[in-house]
Amino acid sequence: MSSLVETGLALLVVVPMVGATLPLALSLVRDQVGWATATVVLAVEAALAARVAYALVLEGGRVVHVLGGETFGRTNREVGGESTEGFAVGIELVGDALSGLVVALVAGVALGVLAFARRGGPRTNAFYSGYLLLTGGLMGVALTGDLFNLFVFLEISGLATYALVASGRSPTSAVAALKYLVLGTTGASMYLVGVGYLFLRTGALNMVDVSRTLAGSVDLPGLEGALYGDPLVVAAFGFVAVGLATKAALFPLHTWQPDAYAEAPDTVTVYISALASTAAAYALARVTWFVFTPAFFDFGPANRRVLEFLLALATVSVLVGSALAAMQPRIKRMLAYSSVAQFGLIVIGIGVAVHPAAGEQATRFAVYGVGIHLVGHAVIKSGLFATAAALAADTGARRVQEYAGLARRRPFLAGGMATLAFGLVGVPPTVGFLGKWYIALAAVEARHWPLVAVVFLSTVLSLLYVARVLERLYFSGSPETATESSGEIAGSPGETGDAVAADGGDGTDGVVATGGASTGMVALALTAAVLTVGLGFTGAELSTALDPVVEAVTDAAPSTEVSR
Amino acid sequence: MIEPATADPRPILAVLLSAVTILLILASHRRPDVRESWSVLAAVAKFAVVLSMLPGVLGGTEYRWSMGEFVLGIEFALRADALGMVFALLASFLWIGTSFYAAGYMRGLEEGSQTRFFAAFAASLSAAVGIAFAENLLTIFLFYELLSVATYPLVAHDETDEARAAGRKYLAYTFLGGGVLVLAGTALVFALSGTVSFSAVAGQTPATGLAESSESLARAAFTMLAAGFGVKAALMPLHSWLPDAMVAPTPVSGLLHAVAVVKSGAFGIARLVLDVFEPDLVGELGVGLALAAVAAVTFTAASIIALRADRLKRRLAFSTVSQLSYIVLGMGLVGPAAAAGAGLENVIKGGLLHIPAHGFMKLTLFFCAGIIHVETHTDYISEMDGIGKRMPLTMGAFAVAAAGMAGIPLVAGFVSKWFLLVGSVSAGQSVFAVALLVSGVLNIAYFWPIVYGAFFESHDRADSKPLIEGPLGGTPPDTDATAHTDGGSHHNDSRPADIDDDSTDGDDHGDGHDHHGGPGPGGWERVGWTGAEGSWLMLGPILVVVAGAVVLGLVPFQAGFLELIESVAAETVADRGVTG
Amino acid sequence: MIEAFATRYSYVLFAALLVLGLYMVVTSSNLVKKVVGLNLFQTGIFLFFVTTAFVDGGRSPVVPAEAGPGEVFASPLGQVIVLTAIVVGVALTAVALALIVRIYDEYGTLDEETLREVRTDE
Repeated sequence: MSSLVETGLALLVVVPMVGATLPLALSLVRDQVGWATATVVLAVEAALAARVAYALVLEGGRVVHVLGGETFGRTNREVGGESTEGFAVGIELVGDALSGLVVALVAGVALGVLAFARRGGPRTNAFYSGYLLLTGGLMGVALTGDLFNLFVFLEISGLATYALVASGRSPTSAVAALKYLVLGTTGASMYLVGVGYLFLRTGALNMVDVSRTLAGSVDLPGLEGALYGDPLVVAAFGFVAVGLATKAALFPLHTWQPDAYAEAPDTVTVYISALASTAAAYALARVTWFVFTPAFFDFGPANRRVLEFLLALATVSVLVGSALAAMQPRIKRMLAYSSVAQFGLIVIGIGVAVHPAAGEQATRFAVYGVGIHLVGHAVIKSGLFATAAALAADTGARRVQEYAGLARRRPFLAGGMATLAFGLVGVPPTVGFLGKWYIALAAVEARHWPLVAVVFLSTVLSLLYVARVLERLYFSGSPETATESSGEIAGSPGETGDAVAADGGDGTDGVVATGGASTGMVALALTAAVLTVGLGFTGAELSTALDPVVEAVTDAAPSTEVSR
Repeated sequence: MIEPATADPRPILAVLLSAVTILLILASHRRPDVRESWSVLAAVAKFAVVLSMLPGVLGGTEYRWSMGEFVLGIEFALRADALGMVFALLASFLWIGTSFYAAGYMRGLEEGSQTRFFAAFAASLSAAVGIAFAENLLTIFLFYELLSVATYPLVAHDETDEARAAGRKYLAYTFLGGGVLVLAGTALVFALSGTVSFSAVAGQTPATGLAESSESLARAAFTMLAAGFGVKAALMPLHSWLPDAMVAPTPVSGLLHAVAVVKSGAFGIARLVLDVFEPDLVGELGVGLALAAVAAVTFTAASIIALRADRLKRRLAFSTVSQLSYIVLGMGLVGPAAAAGAGLENVIKGGLLHIPAHGFMKLTLFFCAGIIHVETHTDYISEMDGIGKRMPLTMGAFAVAAAGMAGIPLVAGFVSKWFLLVGSVSAGQSVFAVALLVSGVLNIAYFWPIVYGAFFESHDRADSKPLIEGPLGGTPPDTDATAHTDGGSHHNDSRPADIDDDSTDGDDHGDGHDHHGGPGPGGWERVGWTGAEGSWLMLGPILVVVAGAVVLGLVPFQAGFLELIESVAAETVADRGVTG
Repeated sequence: MIEAFATRYSYVLFAALLVLGLYMVVTSSNLVKKVVGLNLFQTGIFLFFVTTAFVDGGRSPVVPAEAGPGEVFASPLGQVIVLTAIVVGVALTAVALALIVRIYDEYGTLDEETLREVRTDE
């Protein structure tokens, strides 16, 4: 049974990737089979993910799968009379509670968005190939235990994302995708430099091995003692952090995100808003917590400064992201900036977990907060995009002012949006509150008052942009005003005012010419809203599930022991 | 191990009853009578459930319901104890009357979006009962936020620019208060003491942990929580959302903004002082005195502002601000009283008793304002001279309630004021007693002219109201251009809200600045005392509630509230002996 | 300082290429040149990896026909990393160029400034 879970780790990555070739292969025979193929593949994937996530999250195991079989993996070899200290040869896939959560999230969102894409999304086979490739890449990011392999999977996901973003019919999608590509590649390359420095210093790429070496618990020539003070290592953290921060769209490296989210087809936005930055933030958490560990940041003033700098960036993201979001007239851009702010919060959590001033309680709460908010924010944000897309498909409303009075016409969608919006603000009992509570509590326990202030203020800041939309939905005037304004906007160049059933206008696309939101779209939007509240009550279960991760983080000595 | 209590689903049942009603109301949006009857049914059922717990609570049992851990270390739990029962009883009883009243009001004005209105109302009451029964700071925070969310649609109900602006201000203030300050304070208390429960957990209350932590941190936690709750309790300078929120329909202003929402803030402060920090610690930290001082400033300043308000609802709003601070004063004085070792029971009793007392009286006053608006479209006090002819029952009730607000014996307000006075003097804080007396005089000063004018003057022979407007001694009446010294802009509930688009609002009513209230050219028509002055849907509740106010004043000891409060006070004093 | 140049010239070169590449990405107004800059940037990183894999006196890490213990090889791991990264880089360049072709088709220009004016942004 546990070998099923172990193989499952590899299958989770392989199945969508192999599946990605199917739509292209089948396009020789038939057109427009993409959706059906993707559904089948992702259904299998979801079943696998459920089993694996169950084992990882609810049973609390740490599962390792060595790619390539017996030749690779860890043995105590001797080379030239020297022990190799059990360093891994080859690449390992590792699953623990945190990756289990992300795995479940990826599989769930991937399948769920398909319900949306049935009528909402591009129909080409190539699109679904890219879609499956992206899913595979994200699974790889979540499950890999090797630093360089992480880079590869990040780039696979990135490539697929660029292609998906560009799949909109208008040229602005291509420009947005190019911008994303340039910035994303720069970020990934920075990450690669960081990995290179670490490799240079420690000779290993496996996360556990690098961690052990940095801690000084290996006995190899030139590697005794903790390497935390080595300038190469400190610089490595800097590069890694900047690289992953770019991918997670932290200020000031976020500029690709508003364009990419706004110009991509609606289906794609729903998908990537949940997962692209989430995977990057997860990677940052993984590397910071497990490779560098809290001991690194406690080591010296330079290390601490680097951490403080990262926290400062995150703080500014929260503030600036919310402020910019409040200024956006277009819904999708507003939500994109909101993501910048929310990921700022998550990175604050990541930073507090390893902060020297954080005791065990603070680290515990920070880990809970990051884990819960990664998942929670993904559900909320993709739900918001799905609802916005459904509303746009129904009524053509893409700007805040076009939402006037929509609550009367579309009460369920409006209600869903209100629920999700309050989840974003952090009103209990939504899951958004849980993440915020834990991160805030962690900051309080660490007595880091500026962070505390920022986290609490983020509630009011999110209200800035959320309240505009809600007020417009429920309390402004008549729908007649909406069609007037969208009519006049359709005339202006380069804008996104689609009227109902129009297609091929400038700007955001993805709304099929049949017009109207499909059942799938509405169902997805409402499911997200329900999940937001439902997951809000699972705080205790999620925290318990993350306990093994807490232990692993606070216990500074990483082990090569695995439960098989 | 939490303090022993009987496990019982009734607290959550009371909360959920009106939550379920929301769905029923939304479902019956095409049949107004069915819809309104859901509200009434839910109100009655809720009151019944709460009332059923009363005998047990009076006897010392507490009913507890828990859903288990919500976040690590904190449960999502409700507990019906004496203090919670006071608020829950008040809210649920008054909701019954308000359901009838609101139906009459909304139909009388042919308001739009009534389904949304009643659904939001039900949601607000759900949240209010949740606040009453919350067992710990996090649960109370949860319902506090839900209350903000549920009451926002009611504030912005009219969908005019002014309503939306008021709604935005309301959201900003309440989320700042709740989402930021209360949450921050809760997190700090949790970090400092490991528990946020109002009842002892394993013999530990938050106060135990707080007493052992740094004083400045404990003070910071208290200040944040007090400020957070103080926003809803309309403590100055965080009160300014309340006068603006008067743009909402009067049932909202009445039940919510005079009873449920503001009382939840005051209730939060009561929980903070009595259960989280506990009187001894409050006294030691000195924060009680500071809170009392803020309260004193608030009720004095608010009374003065009320003198100058010409719009009736605005005057009532500032009166609410002022009266709420009596409760906060009582809670604040707990600190010095505990330190001085005297007067503790009295200040607690005084402060807490004002919760139901003020609730009944203020609701009466708002109901009167509402029915006056519906029947005569009059909103300004200066136009209400002689209105006693037109609406005798209403103004009679108004007079009684106003007397109570001023502290006249035999009406509810007297008993609470008495306890506060006695308590503050025994605690050695006589300056507050003086402030209370001054405020009492001011109360008379701003209510008396209304009552006098209604019954004893006629519209063409009256001085212009309010007090302190023209030169002393009054000016000759000038019926064309009555100056409004409240500085308000034209307000929307002088226009029936059946006109939805505000772009053409000025046309029917002449120049946009005017209001079309007031008596006609011939003065008020005389209506007898038989209730022909308005719909019985509205008159009935007014009379019931004002009767309640009188009952509370005549027989406080039998009306249930005082007993509950006495047990709260006694328990607090007893607990001190144990843990002191 | 001179010593650093002499003994660690690979690092210096790496830094120079990195900065040059980034500079090109940031300042070129032609989209294709940006992609070229990106490639330069990435190539710098690859060169860095390869130089770190070098071992003094080591031969290239190919398993010889006759196995002999005690032979010194340059580290294969670094070179493997570079091979993979080159593949990734090629894929990225391909996607970038495909996007540029499309942009050119739609807008008729490859100049960033002109593009910005054509697309009225917010």
